[in-house]
Amino acid sequence: MGITILPPVVEDLVPRHDESDDSMSVGSDSDVEMSGIRAPKRARLGNLTVSTGVVTPGEVVTDDPQWMRGHGTYMTPLSTSIIATVAGTVHKTNKLLSVHPLRARYTPEIGDLVVGRIVEVQSKRWKVDVAAPLLAQLPLSAINLPGGILRRRTSADELQIRTFFSEGDLLVAEVQSVHQDGSASLHTRSLKYGKLRNGVFLAVTGTGGSGASSSSTKGGVGAGSLRPGAGAGVGGVVRSRRQVWTVSTHNGGGEVDVILGVNGYIWISKHADGAAAASSTTQNVSITRMEEMVSSSIYSSQNDNITPQTRREIARLAQCIQVLVQGGVRVDEETVMRAYEASLLVDLEVGDDEDEYEETRHEGREYLEGAKSRRILELVVQQAK
Amino acid sequence: MSNQRQASSASQVPHLSPAELSYLYTSLSLPKSSIRPDGRSPTQFRPLTAETNILPGTNGSARVGFADGTQAIVGVKAEVEKTVLSNETVDARSEFGISEDRGEQEGSAAVGGHGSWVQMSIEIPGFRDDDALPVFLSEMMRESLVGAVGSAEASDMTGGLKGRLVINKRWHWRLYIDVLLLSQPLSYPLPLLSLTTHLALLSTKLPKLKSQGEEDPFFDDDWAVAEYLYPRVSLSSAKHSARSPFVRPPVTLLVISVGENIIFDPNREEIAVADAVLAISITRDSEAGNLKLLSIRTVDPPSRLTQPGIPNSENVNMLGAVASTEDVAVLNPATGEEEVPGVWRPRRGGVKRSVIAEMVKTVLKKGGVGEEVLEGLEGVEVS
Repeated sequence: MGITILPPVVEDLVPRHDESDDSMSVGSDSDVEMSGIRAPKRARLGNLTVSTGVVTPGEVVTDDPQWMRGHGTYMTPLSTSIIATVAGTVHKTNKLLSVHPLRARYTPEIGDLVVGRIVEVQSKRWKVDVAAPLLAQLPLSAINLPGGILRRRTSADELQIRTFFSEGDLLVAEVQSVHQDGSASLHTRSLKYGKLRNGVFLAVTGTGGSGASSSSTKGGVGAGSLRPGAGAGVGGVVRSRRQVWTVSTHNGGGEVDVILGVNGYIWISKHADGAAAASSTTQNVSITRMEEMVSSSIYSSQNDNITPQTRREIARLAQCIQVLVQGGVRVDEETVMRAYEASLLVDLEVGDDEDEYEETRHEGREYLEGAKSRRILELVVQQAK
Repeated sequence: MSNQRQASSASQVPHLSPAELSYLYTSLSLPKSSIRPDGRSPTQFRPLTAETNILPGTNGSARVGFADGTQAIVGVKAEVEKTVLSNETVDARSEFGISEDRGEQEGSAAVGGHGSWVQMSIEIPGFRDDDALPVFLSEMMRESLVGAVGSAEASDMTGGLKGRLVINKRWHWRLYIDVLLLSQPLSYPLPLLSLTTHLALLSTKLPKLKSQGEEDPFFDDDWAVAEYLYPRVSLSSAKHSARSPFVRPPVTLLVISVGENIIFDPNREEIAVADAVLAISITRDSEAGNLKLLSIRTVDPPSRLTQPGIPNSENVNMLGAVASTEDVAVLNPATGEEEVPGVWRPRRGGVKRSVIAEMVKTVLKKGGVGEEVLEGLEGVEVS
């Protein structure tokens, strides 16, 4: 409790190497001078090789004309030097040089499950913040009408557009199409999608989505990227894994749903058992009307009754994800569940040490930071190996 | 319009959906055991990093970083200045009705010091320096700084900081405190800026005075013998912890109330649902080491600008789906308003006297939050 004041942490200035990356390029071209590339940054000034580690925008990556420029770089017409346009790590694919940004905004792709927040309501569509460079749009024609009715959208629907979603509302949706300028068009035409309630929202930074996914898919999944602080392009939500699942929590928390949006927006809420929730309101609902009942509650902004135990476990899950992000571990179902188990374990460990102080120390024990978060990360990484 | 609203309100409120706000509010207002979104206890602060004397060109400086990534740097510069407002001029001016001193008639400016000798400027990215937020913040902090008047027994610090700035009748120090917020103001930046200013003032040194009495001031060149503006506890005397506390610069803490619960060091989301946001300035004066309450200011709670939630019974999209008798409005004991549970209602503001009293008590009591914070800040190595 109280206040903790820490001395500032000095970052180590040694450039880090991405091992998975090196192993990738070895076999394909043996004529590339690997020893020169592995040298620290300063050596670049002497001999003309590629700088490794983190480059900043405007920094010359290489003067060597043998390289081709890839994403995140540019060349001036008059010289052969390749210059970085983003801050990130240099990646080499055969003779292609690209810079993967440390932090990038989400680039939408068709079929992505995203969590978004309405920022603007227009006459026939909503503008949704999905952490992409441009706001995504959600047309009125791309939502389910309450009651599951299928019909054309009329002007009456346009007039009461705010009753479906209004500013600030959170929703889970899917990317339906991506426009020329990179902005996305969403749809919520499934019972899985719609307005979010009964939970907490958190946003994780890092290159979610495609930003750095290539490094983990090419260089053998897991091992490299799970090391805390390993290389760069870490953190963020992993694409193309299971993104919506239910956790049965401990400590009497019941079931909790987790939705990991590819865009780095995350929603953790009490498990909504659609059928049960609906049937509790009206006892005798026929099986054919079931779907109607479910879909009519998708535009509700009223929370159900949530027990304190569930709230605690939701907070714990949210913190686990924060710990993972701060430790540079990519977020997916596996790591989140491991971190959750680890946090329970750490609590037990701490509890054993401080039994006599139980009464006084109980407060604030749920705050996972410092030593606790390090221990959780340790456990997560251990299990990964 | 929305920009102006943000600038004047407590913080740049994120757009939160009514469902989120309602979830947060009910979690935080659970009787006796509020559940904060990050699992902290109500009086727990987020860990912060601090270092002092980072700017070589200043008399004292500090940098503080909060865990959420906000950072501030404060530099304190001191300058010798001729005291214009001597005894006679004050009298003469007040006769002509152009008095400039604010309620400090009892002692002459030359002895008691003057509030205008401390100048504070705050720079926040995205705000002009004449915007409401920086001006309000700097005045709020300066006011408690110069308002802290030490008790008479404390020999060196008579009249608090103002008294300390007096060199002799004709000369005084002028302090320039420059506060720079390095990051976007994620939450209301007042506690961060106040803690940083406190540390910078703790590390501030003034050159040792060689001249005596009413001579023109003449200082020792040796920076090593310079004296702290706020005398430090030497290591040997620290053992006598009973009398160790000296006069200390004030600290402003941000406290919010949600329902009946009192929460310290709120993050942005917590401020967004607060019933009341209070900035409480405390200081430690006199040898006894008691904490003294300097000021309480209410800050406009952003929760009143939020979107209301719609109960299911009134939701057009749910007609026929819900039995209308289900939602019964319940009286919220903290605000005295009728609410449907699970539906967010923007707060109207206002806070009960008992809650404010409880807040002040938690800050000031022995071993309370105020003491913990001041002790923590004292522990920062001033090199």
